[in-house]
Amino acid sequence: MTESQKDFVQKRESIIIKGNVAAAYAAKSARVQVISAYPITPQTTVVEKISEFVDNGLMPGTEYIKMESEHSVFAAVIGASKAGTRTFTATSGQGIFYANEMIHWAAGARLPIVVAIASRGPAPPWNIWADFTDVISQRDTGWMSCFCSEHQEIYDEILMSYKVCEDHEILLPKFVSYGGFILSHTSKPVILEDQDLVDKFLPPLPSEEGWPHIWIDPKRPMMFGNLIMPSSFYYEFRLKIHDANIRAKEKIKKVAKEFEQTFGRNYGNGLIQEYKMDNAIVGVIIYGDLALQMEQAVDDLRDKGYKVGMVKLRHFRPFPTEDIIEVAKKVKVLGVIDRATAFGSQTGGPVSCEVKGALHETKGTATVLPVINGLGGREVTLEQQKNQLIKLVKYYETGEFPKDVIHGTLWDGLLEVE
Amino acid sequence: MSNNEKIIQISMHCRGGQTCITASQLLAEMAFEEGFKDTIAIPIIGAERRGAPIQAFTKVSKSKPIKTYDSVVNPDYIFMFDTSLLDIPKIKATIKEGVNLIINSPDPIDTTGLPNNIKIFIVDATGICIKREFMHSSGPILNIPMLGAFGKITGYYNLETMEKVIKKEFGESRLDKNMSVAKDAYESVREM
Repeated sequence: MTESQKDFVQKRESIIIKGNVAAAYAAKSARVQVISAYPITPQTTVVEKISEFVDNGLMPGTEYIKMESEHSVFAAVIGASKAGTRTFTATSGQGIFYANEMIHWAAGARLPIVVAIASRGPAPPWNIWADFTDVISQRDTGWMSCFCSEHQEIYDEILMSYKVCEDHEILLPKFVSYGGFILSHTSKPVILEDQDLVDKFLPPLPSEEGWPHIWIDPKRPMMFGNLIMPSSFYYEFRLKIHDANIRAKEKIKKVAKEFEQTFGRNYGNGLIQEYKMDNAIVGVIIYGDLALQMEQAVDDLRDKGYKVGMVKLRHFRPFPTEDIIEVAKKVKVLGVIDRATAFGSQTGGPVSCEVKGALHETKGTATVLPVINGLGGREVTLEQQKNQLIKLVKYYETGEFPKDVIHGTLWDGLLEVE
Repeated sequence: MSNNEKIIQISMHCRGGQTCITASQLLAEMAFEEGFKDTIAIPIIGAERRGAPIQAFTKVSKSKPIKTYDSVVNPDYIFMFDTSLLDIPKIKATIKEGVNLIINSPDPIDTTGLPNNIKIFIVDATGICIKREFMHSSGPILNIPMLGAFGKITGYYNLETMEKVIKKEFGESRLDKNMSVAKDAYESVREM
């Protein structure tokens, strides 16, 4: 921490803010040292708000770098992170795709960068609304990846993410994503935590120490990212990225517990969050904003006597295989609801593919029914979600697929086309 | 905490530039300031332009957490920032039985085609803004008088709470002017 950064002040208060603003406040509370920014809808107000903080002197010592593209934005945070600083940026949809080369680089270089994603549908047709295909398409880059379902969770998850990413046994970058417009532009009450308490949970980085594997020091020059021969360690480095991802599961659980002890907010075990799964016969796995709304659907159907429950998937990478197997033992039918696509795969939905893969060797687990809904921001109402649950209950009772199943997956809420 | 407590749902219609997106946000803040436990402001974002129909929603709840992000289809209150919006059948159809309609109009409106058992409240928000010179680059800033009228009708918040929120959002510079239009609307809104 530099001298000037000691001036960070934030009192605990509850304010009504947009999801994007919650992400900006999280960057501020986390005492991020370098921000690089390029605007893209629906993320833009994240970096706008941060620029306002920096301009008003509320983030003393923080460098704010305006770039000319997302590719450069990621190159800039990679450079800054190599220098041992805490870095942040935010992007969406096409911006992620443009930065793809650098996204792979950040994970390969084992840099603990945290990036907020206001998810939007990939073009064409041009789309700026909620659809997690953008962030999920980064599946194999080595980045950790998680979803938020509420404004408070965006703020909280960014704080937790730095703690996981910067752990010297992990050292991986992470995406913290939330549905474009549905969370990014709606406003809800968010508790901003007292700076002293945040500092205790997530201490500011010691200055000029660097990460254990890389530091920039003119007295001790080192080469980085150079070409190595196939006989050298490239292959072993790849295994280490996977290994760190898998080991991050325990770390994520530990940090979620510590977060709850510090701030009093519970996020399940960090990887998943169960809701009314006890004695449920039919359950769903769901993520993002629709997970919160599904809680209401479960409440409403429970009031009517339906034995339904749900599991909020918080982390996509690392994928909580063991937890998913356990919840799949609790119910008879498990709907897996994607707001994203995996074209040409077994189910068409990325998370339902993962769940099927996780369960295939375990006997006594639920029958999985993949569901896709809400692509490109198509509105998914509470009524629609209640109907999804009822369709799953009927599937359990009759063993017959709902009428509108296409290639084994329920594509719910399609327009009626003649 | 009552599990059956009803979440109060508000739908706002305006034309681009008439400031109903900000109104939905301010309403959430005012209710929260007044002690409502949960609120959400939901703007419907597309390709906005001056004059095009715009919609925004606010949901407020005294104690029950609000878990939904979906559009309000059965509102308890509708804000109509512009009488010409009533000529659009799709918008007119959102006015259903039992609704409280708050409309910006100097005179009683033509109720042909509207359900019988609705309450209609009239406030001359445009007139108030012109009188108090409360304008932005392309017209009157209607959100503050509309919110003043809503506070009076519902009692969800008073002028004091409005002042706190407006001060927090916009600072001191135009606070007096904001409050003068809020007060005019608060005092002049009437049921038709």
